[in-house]
Amino acid sequence: MRATWISVGIILFAACKPSDKGPPPPPPSPPPPSDHVVVHAQVVDIIPRRLSGETWQDAEPFLSLYASNPDFLAASAFTPNPGGSASGTAPIFVSSDGGATWSLRNTIPSETMTADITHAVGRSPRELYAGIMRQPDYPLNELSTSDFLSFVTMTRLARRDSIDQPFMRAIKSGNVERLYVGLNDFAAPGGRTATVDLSLNGSAPFASRRIETRNTLGQNGPSIRPAPAEDGTVYVAYLGWRSAAGSTIQSDVVVARDDHGATSANPFRDLVDPSDHLPGRLLARNVTITWSNAPTMGQERIGSTLSLAVDGLHSENVYVAWGDRVGNGDIWTVHVRRSTDRGATWSTDVRTLKNATAPSLAVATNRTVGLLYQQLTGSGNTSRWVTHLEQSRDGFATHQDIILATVPAMTPAYQFLPYLGDYNFLLSRGNQFLGIFSANNTPDSANFPHGIVYQRRVDWATHRLLDRSGAPVAVSIDPFFFSANVLP
Amino acid sequence: MSTRPVMVWIALAVLGSAATAPAQSAREALVRQSDIIFVGTVIRTGAVAAQDLPASPLTAVVRVDQVLEKPEAVGLVEGDSVTVQSVKQGSLKDGMRATFYTTGWIFGDGVAVREVGHEPVRAQFASAVQQDSVARARQKVNDANLRQRIQAASVVAVGRVEQVRPATLAAAPGRPAPITEHDPEWQEAIIQVEDGIKGAQSGQRVVVRFPGSHDVAYVSSPRLAVGQEGTFLLQKATGAPLTLMAGQSVPTYTALHRLDVLPKQEGARVRGLMRSP
Repeated sequence: MRATWISVGIILFAACKPSDKGPPPPPPSPPPPSDHVVVHAQVVDIIPRRLSGETWQDAEPFLSLYASNPDFLAASAFTPNPGGSASGTAPIFVSSDGGATWSLRNTIPSETMTADITHAVGRSPRELYAGIMRQPDYPLNELSTSDFLSFVTMTRLARRDSIDQPFMRAIKSGNVERLYVGLNDFAAPGGRTATVDLSLNGSAPFASRRIETRNTLGQNGPSIRPAPAEDGTVYVAYLGWRSAAGSTIQSDVVVARDDHGATSANPFRDLVDPSDHLPGRLLARNVTITWSNAPTMGQERIGSTLSLAVDGLHSENVYVAWGDRVGNGDIWTVHVRRSTDRGATWSTDVRTLKNATAPSLAVATNRTVGLLYQQLTGSGNTSRWVTHLEQSRDGFATHQDIILATVPAMTPAYQFLPYLGDYNFLLSRGNQFLGIFSANNTPDSANFPHGIVYQRRVDWATHRLLDRSGAPVAVSIDPFFFSANVLP
Repeated sequence: MSTRPVMVWIALAVLGSAATAPAQSAREALVRQSDIIFVGTVIRTGAVAAQDLPASPLTAVVRVDQVLEKPEAVGLVEGDSVTVQSVKQGSLKDGMRATFYTTGWIFGDGVAVREVGHEPVRAQFASAVQQDSVARARQKVNDANLRQRIQAASVVAVGRVEQVRPATLAAAPGRPAPITEHDPEWQEAIIQVEDGIKGAQSGQRVVVRFPGSHDVAYVSSPRLAVGQEGTFLLQKATGAPLTLMAGQSVPTYTALHRLDVLPKQEGARVRGLMRSP
């Protein structure tokens, strides 16, 4: 049963009139979605005030947070170095006040911006690791810094060509950091390209571990998603692409598992499918992937949508979300399934979301699961991208939903793809879900039902963005950080 | 391009004047590495203008007196205080007025920049003179960059795109072309040359390969369309250097850099740059 999420946003609004002096006064608060308070949510446009003139498509956001210091956060998107290309660096957003304010620092070694970027925190209080596709030429760079707030360009740990979608995760094990970088390695033999680059000590060299155990059509899907748990269990989800007819691909959705931190020479072999006794549990078979590298759902592309979350303290609980085309008139459908026995058996869909994309799952310490996704509603010029955060305490037997943003889907026109991102990201810490998504940045409080804070200069009365001088700025895509309390 | 600090500020400091040729040459070197350039006055050395920056002997708070160059997105106006990380400790003094050649470093409530170099400003030089000097240096840098592309090009021509077609590229033996969102989705444009400036004759047709993909990886690459006129700076294609045109095997070229496709009217400038040293 779907309960309506009832909440009151902590609304820290910005200006009613153009001003460059201090935080502007709030617009009228929107009515709360319902009549009893369950959750507080706060959404922050992370484009800094001094970049009020920016009009870039800041898509595909990612977030890292520090367990040791709740004030520290790092975020990224397809944001170019606002200073230009002269420095040979790309930016990362940082916050040292829990996400209330953000600044942008050019410390990523990539010309102007990256072609992909994900990151994860390390064991020391300010350590950060990143996996990027570096400009120019897009090689994989695995990076680190001992202090994400420092002004020093991140250090390259490793580099190689011919990969896609590096997805960095990290977990402390004893006194060392273990790094798991899911990636699609086109140099892998036999077309079994699903790979996890592994470092057991937080530094180079990385060992490339091949995850796929079955034949493919010549490669796996781009999304390879590792997720480590505290007890040494590491899951990895991937798309086993088996055959294709044109741009229609038949795929399995596969979860592999390693029970010992993937420390052996041949890891991720601890979860076997009963049908063929091969490692890698086939939790969905022969799903239809419509590969489209063109605007297909609104202005967004589709083709590789995958998320996996493990309950960090109870690794038997694991969730997977993926996207495919069902054929019921959908463009793309997100499915969520759950296992409570370490991936041995899986539910049917616990959530099925038509015309949705970019799901991201996280499990809080109290076992509440969060699901962030973006769904296209309406059609044509009236269509909207609606960003949801759902929570469930019972494995999605029931859930509660809040809408973080509902924005026009056809404006602004896309500059490139992905329009909003092939992924968003959701994390949990204590009693909070924290996440990030990208969306149209029109300053209209009606677009953000739980409240919104802008750092960049806006005129609430006219719903306009303004630059430093007060001149109007075109609407664009911005990254939005949010926090919401976990359902108790 | 790297952020190698250039120490030419020393030379500029000695020369001082904006008028000498050596100074202009050194200025060009600074401009080449800079994306934010402003005239400012050092308010306090060893200090910072924003809370989340640690002060160091290299940092200084500088008041912006005049913005000479900045990207549109950056909010920087006269009267702002910015943090400057200097190239060399002790090179900035309280009260000193200079043109600061910098790259953007941190953008939040404030702006911090990394100095590439600075050029002391003598009081008698009007702001307009500084602005003109930097503008001339930028023009020289732009010309040099374009000249470099011209020299590297196999074909330089003014022409019109007659046809665009998908490129037919054979995958490497035993290794199918990967399916990836970063696939360039190569296209081929057939360009009718109107004015062959280098490596082509008027009336000739050349085939130009370019990424048709809208993926973020190619957001800066030129895209060609039927009917488009331009001045094209073309490199020989690597990997698959030949293609078919009218049944004949012909060389293929690429135009991947933003400077490789210029407006048609830039043809005269390109020809001029080829002649100049």
